[in-house]
Amino acid sequence: MIYPQKNKLINWFFHNYILRIVKSNFQEVKFDGVGVDKSKSVLLLANHFSWWDGFLMYYINYKILKKHFHVMVIEKTVQKVSFFKYVGAFSVSKNSRDMLASLNYASELLNDPENMVLIFPQGKFRSNFIDEVTFERGVSKVMQGAAGKFQTIMAATFIENLQYKKPTANVYLKAAHEINGLEDAQNAYQQHYHTAKQQQNKIIV
Amino acid sequence: MIPARRIKLFSNWFAIYMRYRMRRAFNRLVVTPFTPKPGHSVLLLCNHFSWWDGLWGNYLAYWHLDRHLYIMMQEDHLQKRMLLNLFGGFSINRSSREMVKSLQYAAGLLNDPENLVVVFPQGELISNHTTEIKVEKGIERLIKNIKGPCQIVYNCALIDYFESLKPSVFFHLYDCGVAGEVTFDELITKINTFHRHALKAQIDVEH
Repeated sequence: MIYPQKNKLINWFFHNYILRIVKSNFQEVKFDGVGVDKSKSVLLLANHFSWWDGFLMYYINYKILKKHFHVMVIEKTVQKVSFFKYVGAFSVSKNSRDMLASLNYASELLNDPENMVLIFPQGKFRSNFIDEVTFERGVSKVMQGAAGKFQTIMAATFIENLQYKKPTANVYLKAAHEINGLEDAQNAYQQHYHTAKQQQNKIIV
Repeated sequence: MIPARRIKLFSNWFAIYMRYRMRRAFNRLVVTPFTPKPGHSVLLLCNHFSWWDGLWGNYLAYWHLDRHLYIMMQEDHLQKRMLLNLFGGFSINRSSREMVKSLQYAAGLLNDPENLVVVFPQGELISNHTTEIKVEKGIERLIKNIKGPCQIVYNCALIDYFESLKPSVFFHLYDCGVAGEVTFDELITKINTFHRHALKAQIDVEH
């Protein structure tokens, strides 16, 4: 398993790099305000349809969540993109013993109210046009491991082009109320995703 | 109304240049295999959600449907970019009487089986995620005026990213039948069914 690395200079560099590419590649990143509980860490659940998701969530964290950013990434990707570990990525490899270590590590991170952990519960890329979001089982393990210590925030992102050459990202955020177990989490997310999508459908210029 | 002053040589240059630009701006441009009926002109109805739509119409006409492109644009938009007039852009002004003229002009172009006319039936920019395609009344009039054989094709373009920072665009093309053989209501139902089908197909698209 690969853990996040700290190095002030490299962290600083990639922090600015991410903010810069988000700014230069998008016309605008729109997001909802969401109440963040300062005494709790944040578990951010997001849909996964592109390479941008992680960067966009990094941006969201910088803008409103204001916690230490951590993200669970497939091991292969962390190995390939070596700078990920300097912006808070830790690895997970599906179907291996190591997976438990990764899930436990995520729970551990959530025990500290200064942290936020981003998880893509879909576990792989899915189209931006899906109607139903299915969760992998690991998420519930993370939630159990840090029960009561964190706040769950759900993010549904949709990309839209409209009259500008550059795309606009719409990130719909919502704090979830008490969630017990995987099914509950999935239902809550599904509901949020559905409402977000309907709002997105209505956009007309 | 501003008719098209299409110049073949310039249009060819433009198509080649735009293909280059698109290949740079997009990760992949995926078109579902589609061959238009031989001897028919093509009325290409596209969903309208981005800055790129018209250029994509050009791309499809040139490299996939093999027809000469003409495209219906809003008058004020065309006036700002009169260069496009040379590549097949003609205007429509929805708030004036000349609208009928534009529709008749478009129908006239379609009498020639070499031609292709791109029209955005929604008439305005609407989210890419929409599940319903509204078709403006004018389309009915346009189709009624076509005298030559003309195939109506619906193009649903969807943007997805997957393993890239650059977007990929997926064109789902559907045959809506031949002008004169489908009623307007049938056409609307067909377009909406196809659109929903495209949204479903997009979920399982290869990436």
